[in-house]
Amino acid sequence: MDRTNPREFWEHVLSQVELSVSPANFNAWFRDSHLIKIEDGIVYIGVPSQFFRDMYLKKFHMLLLKIVRGISYEFRNIEYHIVKDERRKPPRMDKAGRPTIELPLNEFYIDKSDNLNPRYTFDSFVVGSFNDLAYAASQAAITRPGITYNPLFIYGETGRGKTHLIQAIGNQFKKTYPNRKAFYLTSEKFAIDFTDAVGAGTANRFKDKYRQYDLLVMDDVQFLSKKDKTQEELFHLFNALHDNNKQIIFSSDRPPVAIPDIAERLRGRLASGMTVDIGEPDVESRVAIARRKTAMHGITLSDEVIEYVALTASGSIRELEGMINSIVCHSQVKGTVPDIAEVRQSLRSFTRPQKNVSVKNVVTKVAEFYGIDEESIYEKTRRREVVRPRQIIMYLLREDFSVSYPTIGSKLGGRDHTTVIHSCEKIRREVVGDSELAKEIQDIRTLLV
Amino acid sequence: MILLIEKKDFINAIHTTARFTERSGMSLPILSSILILSTSDGIKFRATNLETGIDFKVKGTHKGEGVLAIPAKILEQIAGSLVGEGTVTIEQKGDTALLKIGSAQSSIRTTPPEDFPTIPIPESPKGRVVLSGVTIKNLLSSIAGCASTSSVRPELASVYFSIEGGTCTAVATDSFRLAEKKIALNGKGVQSKLLIPAKNALDIAQALPDEEVIVTFDDHQCAFVSELGMFSTRLTAAMYPDYRQIIPKESVAEAIVLRRDLELALKRATIFSDVFQKVLLSFDPKKKMLTLFSRNTDVGETTEPIAGQLSGSAIELSFNHRYLSAFFSLIAAENISLTSSGVGRPLIMRGVGDASLLYLVMPMNQ
Repeated sequence: MDRTNPREFWEHVLSQVELSVSPANFNAWFRDSHLIKIEDGIVYIGVPSQFFRDMYLKKFHMLLLKIVRGISYEFRNIEYHIVKDERRKPPRMDKAGRPTIELPLNEFYIDKSDNLNPRYTFDSFVVGSFNDLAYAASQAAITRPGITYNPLFIYGETGRGKTHLIQAIGNQFKKTYPNRKAFYLTSEKFAIDFTDAVGAGTANRFKDKYRQYDLLVMDDVQFLSKKDKTQEELFHLFNALHDNNKQIIFSSDRPPVAIPDIAERLRGRLASGMTVDIGEPDVESRVAIARRKTAMHGITLSDEVIEYVALTASGSIRELEGMINSIVCHSQVKGTVPDIAEVRQSLRSFTRPQKNVSVKNVVTKVAEFYGIDEESIYEKTRRREVVRPRQIIMYLLREDFSVSYPTIGSKLGGRDHTTVIHSCEKIRREVVGDSELAKEIQDIRTLLV
Repeated sequence: MILLIEKKDFINAIHTTARFTERSGMSLPILSSILILSTSDGIKFRATNLETGIDFKVKGTHKGEGVLAIPAKILEQIAGSLVGEGTVTIEQKGDTALLKIGSAQSSIRTTPPEDFPTIPIPESPKGRVVLSGVTIKNLLSSIAGCASTSSVRPELASVYFSIEGGTCTAVATDSFRLAEKKIALNGKGVQSKLLIPAKNALDIAQALPDEEVIVTFDDHQCAFVSELGMFSTRLTAAMYPDYRQIIPKESVAEAIVLRRDLELALKRATIFSDVFQKVLLSFDPKKKMLTLFSRNTDVGETTEPIAGQLSGSAIELSFNHRYLSAFFSLIAAENISLTSSGVGRPLIMRGVGDASLLYLVMPMNQ
């Protein structure tokens, strides 16, 4: 038996207890208890209520002490703690699918003093090649706040885990430096707060309020564009915090240079520290994320299913989360873990529309996107500016709408199906390495929906 | 030991204490038993199911000290069969108990009493509140019904009490509706928050006497002490959501109607509601009408207009009728106000002139 492993330790104790007490007693008193920790020779046991603690002290204390001493003499004493109800495992899942809307109670567990959602921690953050730089920068910002990278600017497309990362920084900061103050807010909240303060004539109090923090985390700064006065206020706040070596963290969906309508002096400051992006998660990372998320819901899916989900949900992690929630919901309703066929069935709504699309429509949209003449697509020309869009059209028709190679060939001016295969392969290869191309294709896809 | 108890007192004591025993029968036999004690203090009946506990004083005469435990089920059945005047005599004979009622005599096998757990009282009380039993009873029995019955989220399966500035606010929600009731306290000093499991609250509410009750509590345990005995419950150790944030401040439409009209209209609408128990509520401020509508393909449909004072804009919302009618058991007011804060947002129900109770219902998906 491993003495340092609490679970094994407790199981060993229970097996000994079971020999000494009646089964009814064992079931009544030991089923809901567990080992919290062993520290300085004291064994801490978690019990559900004071009834249990009194009984343990009265009846089982000597027995338990004898057993733990039997394991080793290093254990001096046993203490009983009444544990929080949340820590005890829920006996069953709630049935899903009630028609009445729920009160949004869940959202209100957020700690009001710092606005941080305790759900977002580094423990639940999956690090992959797409975000390891951002992760490393965050860690550096926590180790030496205000000095290494100040400000830390994290950007990436929606659903890539920006909010999770920056809130995790806040939560970690709170844990590491309990005496310092962290605060999280969105730029929109900042703007509203500011206008409210101006309206109420308490602008000075507003200034003081934000200057007191040791760590300020501001989400979605791109929404500040065009709000000149708020930008000015942020500019002053930035200076005040930065001069005092207080860590500032921003997130946005685009880099500082690309945020439109924002004052130059603020833009410069946003970019003055460390700017990192979170890219598109690769398949391996998506698999890891899918696994982590399902584990959090307490169900285990087969590798096949996880892989299917990870491959289907390209891009946004939020979409991946949606799929997992839908699978979790299904498995709760049915009471079994779904297999690949069921998952495919239930995720149909998430997969790209398999509708029949007219080739002409795709050609028109792509030609329009690249600003070329629609007719030239069908012609036999090999001009570079036409060849690329034509290949993209073939790729899209094949990937998104599953049109057969020969059909694509014949519809696009009577080309051979091998030409089509070559084009599709080419784009497929390039799209992996060329983020510019990937972005273009993504944009075209949105036009086609 | 020999105990002599009046039939009336015996029946009352058994019914009160039996509620606190373990009913499932799967657990320890001692938890399904009532512990009968004869001490220098008098006669006491005790029971616990490890969630709640009772230590009940029983009137009667006793000779000698002793303790015995008898399965509650048997005592309940005996108590249920008693009529008229007379006394019940309980005598301990080794590990059996002799029960004499009139000339009849039965002997009952007892449960070994050594295993009976102590009924915990708050060790170092954090707060102490004195209230009349009637007030606590009403508060608990009305509010606790709105708590969640599922144990997935223990905090929602509890009644939340917040004692502050001389007011005690009790809240319960199952996340589909929420009830909040405020009562005034005598003293102002105490400031505390506690979560009593709703099921325990209901059990205690039914057992509490009408007289003055002292409530003491610490982090894990809460006790209600009265002349008749002590009632104890464990407390839920969890965070309660900050429910005040979901109470809407703005109003889109408001209606004030007679309670009687609404209650009757809702009763009829219930007959016609579908499997989802849906009732459509339409506010029409122009016609000064609040209309209930429900339809069931098997039964038919009904439209129930109620005249009242309406203001704001016209809006239609669907509700589960059970959540609407639950409100009537909470309040005695003659006039009822319904305030909507928009589609997909909670509806506030209050009694006109009664600011102590607030009831919030979420609409259904249209």
